Amino acid sequence: MKYTQLIRLLVNRELTLRYKRSVIGIGWTLLNPILTSAVLWFVFSYAFASRLPGGQQFAPYLMAGILMNTFFNQALMQSADSIANNAGVLTKLYVPPQVFTISSALAGLINFFIGMLPLALVCFISGQNLAWTLPLVLIIGVALAVLAAGLGLALSILFIRFDDTRNIVQVLLMILMYMTPIFYPVSAVNETMQAIIRWNPLTSYLDIFRWAFSNNATPTLFSWIYMTSWSICALLLGTYIFKKYWPRTVAML
Amino acid sequence: MAIIEVKNLKITYRVLMNKSGSLKELFRDAVKGRVRILEYVALQDVSFTVDKGEVVAILGRNGAGKSTLLKVIAGVLPPTQGTLEVNGKIAPMIELGAGFHPEMTGSENVLFYSALMGRDVKQVKERISAIGEWAGVTDHMEFPLRTFSSGMVARLAFSTATDEQTEVLLVDEVLSVGDADFQNKSRARMDDLISKGAAVVLVSHDMNAVRTLATRAIWLESGKVKMIGNPEEVVAAYETN
Repeated sequence: MKYTQLIRLLVNRELTLRYKRSVIGIGWTLLNPILTSAVLWFVFSYAFASRLPGGQQFAPYLMAGILMNTFFNQALMQSADSIANNAGVLTKLYVPPQVFTISSALAGLINFFIGMLPLALVCFISGQNLAWTLPLVLIIGVALAVLAAGLGLALSILFIRFDDTRNIVQVLLMILMYMTPIFYPVSAVNETMQAIIRWNPLTSYLDIFRWAFSNNATPTLFSWIYMTSWSICALLLGTYIFKKYWPRTVAML
Repeated sequence: MAIIEVKNLKITYRVLMNKSGSLKELFRDAVKGRVRILEYVALQDVSFTVDKGEVVAILGRNGAGKSTLLKVIAGVLPPTQGTLEVNGKIAPMIELGAGFHPEMTGSENVLFYSALMGRDVKQVKERISAIGEWAGVTDHMEFPLRTFSSGMVARLAFSTATDEQTEVLLVDEVLSVGDADFQNKSRARMDDLISKGAAVVLVSHDMNAVRTLATRAIWLESGKVKMIGNPEEVVAAYETN
């Protein structure tokens, strides 16, 4: 494809530029999940660590959750913002706008993979081995990037048309985060909440991720089907909405 | 075969009368039945063709639709009605250096800008030093763009945009880049591209440039073609108007 070179340059720019003026540069990508996890571990380990099923460790459980949640939030918001952020280019020369969305999601995906290095370290420290299913994290990462890019495409139209939708989405993302078992085990909440959590798509992604990485969760066949269908539907829907509304939206940039 | 063929082009923008920038306001206005949508016609019944080696100048007052027309030809704005056909690669110079980033070096920006224009990055890589040299910024190519003067940025952008032979050049008031020396140089390069078959569509308020450069002129008024033909005659009519 003609634009793969451009996507590579864009991803590269997004990964390096954010840290251009910082001392440890891309090291922040490693340090960020560690620091956030350390704080939350300090706060929640007393309350929740003992409630995990036998054999599961709280520290990698928590960190996997944070890593994945950060990836999803960043990839979604950045791909949704990417088109408005590049309005200066998109109104001056022809580039398929989706190129920017894809690049943002890919940059998030790479950060996600980089963040797995400290996660592996935490696994070893807490006495866990990486699972033989580890290569499957590739599939999960791609599935989540596709979900973020698909939703991001649809949201980008909304963000350009209505300023306040961005704030609404951020609140919704926060609610979604609390409905995902990131720092608590599912067994810690009542049954109604458990049902809601199970229907939250991110729960399926996270269960599979924890299981594939260090056998730290028990996903079911439902999780796999649910994850795949969400990713595919988000991509189809996002592309459809974008194609439909973009011609009128580009005039508003 | 014409390089650019525009037929019965119409562009309308939908404008919300009481501009609601937020969902809340739109909802409030919708409930009260106050949403009125106005169709703003930016271009109407515009038809023309541009052949190989032709330079077509577009004249008109501010808001006549000149830049909109360039954007349509660039493929940025889809036509509301009518058709547009462009046979060949476009070098859009609607705004020089669209996509330049102040934190990236001169070389990185050249690569990036070229990739945005759909060029082959591998080929451009070998041309970077030549592009920098032509723009007269060789010593600065490895520094971030924010250390460049605005003239240097414009020269580098022009040098990059015109480095490859293209079928179509879209130019929006960018002929006044740099000092007199550089203007002569860039003019010579434009002439070279044109003699090799590039078709040029040019928007300018500089009537001298139009007279000397253009082979045909289109006068736009309120989105419609008021006059089309020999640049001398069109400029004369436009100036007495």
